[in-house]
Amino acid sequence: MKTLVEMRKVTKRFPGVVALKDISFDIQAGEVHVLLGENGAGKSTLMKILSGAYQPTEGTIVLHGREYSSLTPKDAYENGISIIYQELSVIDELSIQENLFVGKLPTKKTAGFITTVDQKVMHEKALDYCKKVGLKRDPRTMVEELCISEKQQVEIAKALAGNSEVIIMDEPTASLTMEETNHLFNIIHQLKREGKGIVYISHKMKEIKEIGDRVTVLKDGTYVGTRNVADVEVDELVSMMVGRELNLESFSNHELDIAKQPVIFEARNISRRDKRVRNVSFQLHKGEILGFSGLVGSGRTEMMNAIFGAEPRESGEVYINGRKVDITNPYSAIKNGLAMVTENRRETGFINTMDIKKNISLLPYIKTSRAQGLVGLVSEKYDKKTGEEQRNSLRIKCADIDQSILQLSGGNQQKVILGKWLAADSEIIIFDEPTKGIDIGSKSEIYALMRKLADEGKGVLVVSSELPELLAVCDTIMVFREGQIVKTFPRKEATEQSIIRVSTGELSDEVK
Amino acid sequence: MEQTQNRSGLSFNAIWQRYGTMGILLLLLAILAILRPGSIFSTESIPQILTQSSVNILIALGEFFAILIAGIDLSVGAVTALSGMMTAKLMIAGLPPAAAVILGVLFGSFLGFINGSLVNATGLHPFIITLGTDAIFRGVTLITSNARSVFGFPASFTVGISSSVIGVPIPVIIALITAVVLGFFTVKTKAGRNIYALGGNQQAAWFSGINVKLHTLLVFIISGTCAGIAGVVLLGRVGAAEPGAASGFSTYAIAATIIGGTSFFGGKGKIFGVVMGGLIIGVINYGMNILTVSSSYQQIVMGVLIIISVFLDKLLATKK
Repeated sequence: MKTLVEMRKVTKRFPGVVALKDISFDIQAGEVHVLLGENGAGKSTLMKILSGAYQPTEGTIVLHGREYSSLTPKDAYENGISIIYQELSVIDELSIQENLFVGKLPTKKTAGFITTVDQKVMHEKALDYCKKVGLKRDPRTMVEELCISEKQQVEIAKALAGNSEVIIMDEPTASLTMEETNHLFNIIHQLKREGKGIVYISHKMKEIKEIGDRVTVLKDGTYVGTRNVADVEVDELVSMMVGRELNLESFSNHELDIAKQPVIFEARNISRRDKRVRNVSFQLHKGEILGFSGLVGSGRTEMMNAIFGAEPRESGEVYINGRKVDITNPYSAIKNGLAMVTENRRETGFINTMDIKKNISLLPYIKTSRAQGLVGLVSEKYDKKTGEEQRNSLRIKCADIDQSILQLSGGNQQKVILGKWLAADSEIIIFDEPTKGIDIGSKSEIYALMRKLADEGKGVLVVSSELPELLAVCDTIMVFREGQIVKTFPRKEATEQSIIRVSTGELSDEVK
Repeated sequence: MEQTQNRSGLSFNAIWQRYGTMGILLLLLAILAILRPGSIFSTESIPQILTQSSVNILIALGEFFAILIAGIDLSVGAVTALSGMMTAKLMIAGLPPAAAVILGVLFGSFLGFINGSLVNATGLHPFIITLGTDAIFRGVTLITSNARSVFGFPASFTVGISSSVIGVPIPVIIALITAVVLGFFTVKTKAGRNIYALGGNQQAAWFSGINVKLHTLLVFIISGTCAGIAGVVLLGRVGAAEPGAASGFSTYAIAATIIGGTSFFGGKGKIFGVVMGGLIIGVINYGMNILTVSSSYQQIVMGVLIIISVFLDKLLATKK
């Protein structure tokens, strides 16, 4: 095998902190090298050094036999290294083919002296690259019309068009459905056959087993080890990452006889005008955790947003403890005891300009008449008290509750968001993709919290695209397809295979 | 691990946020004190600087809220002029000055209400709405005044505005009271907190149950009210309602707000900073006058200062 890239004893220091210490990492032609580690372990920093975004403090990088003490983005590009970030960087306003050749559009001379873009050559070349990545679209299509997985294919095609030898993919399946993930894996296999080296950053153990050849684990900026994927067990990888064995126990409550428990939350005939949710009804019992599975876009989030009043619904009723409640906006939902931990923390979850304690106390002020007096006074003392309470009970890891929420890891941000809802005594808590982008250690903590809430009698509804997650925490799993619940699985009867088959429509709902 | 890194960045940033504008102000005062000894720290110059700054500070206090929600209010200059014009007309029509002043200020609130309602109803960015209403309000001012100065109202009004209480000029007292009330509002009330949340992340605020439209409306009403108060003070100081009054004051207000450390991206800023920003602009104007620099250069200095302060802000934000 040919070594495409070798990073030797790379150290990166930021003022006051060592982000990476003596990391060595190499990429062979035709392999998928998985980079594994919790959030903050240094994976992104290492890859940013490789793509030229950061300069290492010490160490060398060997590319094509030449030693570099640091790379510029241009060096990286010219040596065939490209990186595909989680937040895709395709340009929506351009067509697919323009995206592929942006910065190096094929040109020709018109009227002998005016340089213009050679549309024909560009189109032909683009067709070729689209075919390579299985993108079934006319290259002249505007990128804004594409879905996320297609945009990702454009990114990969762009890397190929730039003659990349090494393609770094940062959690490429985070926003993909099962089917799209499989398609991506096919592309990756194809790239391997062509001798490309792939660096694959992911949290998902199953994917690593499926796609990886070697795996390197980082922890707190240090190198833990490299293994052949074929020879390593998931449990070992997890313990390498977190330094402890992950308790893979189930968080669902097996003793609970759900049918005998009172119904604490019920949605009846929820529909949206845009038809993304059609006539959905379900019940949640006391102590039960109810999960919603389905492909991305099957209508789960859309239904929750409609129930929560964040997006309009056409019809449907919501009952809490048997009492019909009138929800027209998030405020009325909150007043009635609903809470929503949204899918997108940064966009809809927290206030990025506020510190931890104010993010938490925001909700009690809004929901209750916690604010005193005629003008509604807030108090720093109450902020502190509430913030500390939630910090202690949820074990939020921070130096101080006066810290900006942006300084926390994803898992701890999620805890702050949960804290604000708990501080407001929410009764029914909707979790939408509660552990998206969160490391394994925090994940199990969040699962345990969800179980605890349910055991305390609070309602817990979970939307998740991660089946192991639903199988671990839920007592009942409902499967969404095309805006409807097509099947309900009690935990005992649910398996990954059966859920996948129902959600993809492979197993129709009549066959029960 | 990451925390140590961030904390050192934070403290640096925090120092800038807390003392940056005050530092600039002191620096300017020091420069002037060196260039023209005795010109700054005298019993005449200080009240003069404060009085001259008070109208700008009043307008900037309102502008602060518009910028805090990641918006802007370009109509504050026109609101100032129209409120002043309205106050003058009411007094000439025979209303007692006190009543005219109250109605004039409320008229400013009403103009703010129009801005806020339009922003809510159309969903357009406040930049567009207030760019439009700025022209509309200015047009109304010209029509109601026949494009002429309006004067001839009771001397008690102008004398009142120009007087002092224990040596402190009335405009300064008005600006100070407004600043204190709004400072209290931003820090101590739920509505103030909600406005910060809205400015920091409108989507998250909506999901947290904050009434986005109501608070947006409130912001523009506050902005209009402040401009209304400024209009009355300006009227008293000038002694006549000019149809072209306060033109260009929107720029000063935006400058004061931004120099005062308010983030253009919303959710961050303090009333104290806005007052400092207003004073900085006042000191620059005053200082260049005593240094007999042409007012044309004052514009240039102001422009440079705006760019530097926002750039510094951005630099520190990215460093974090």
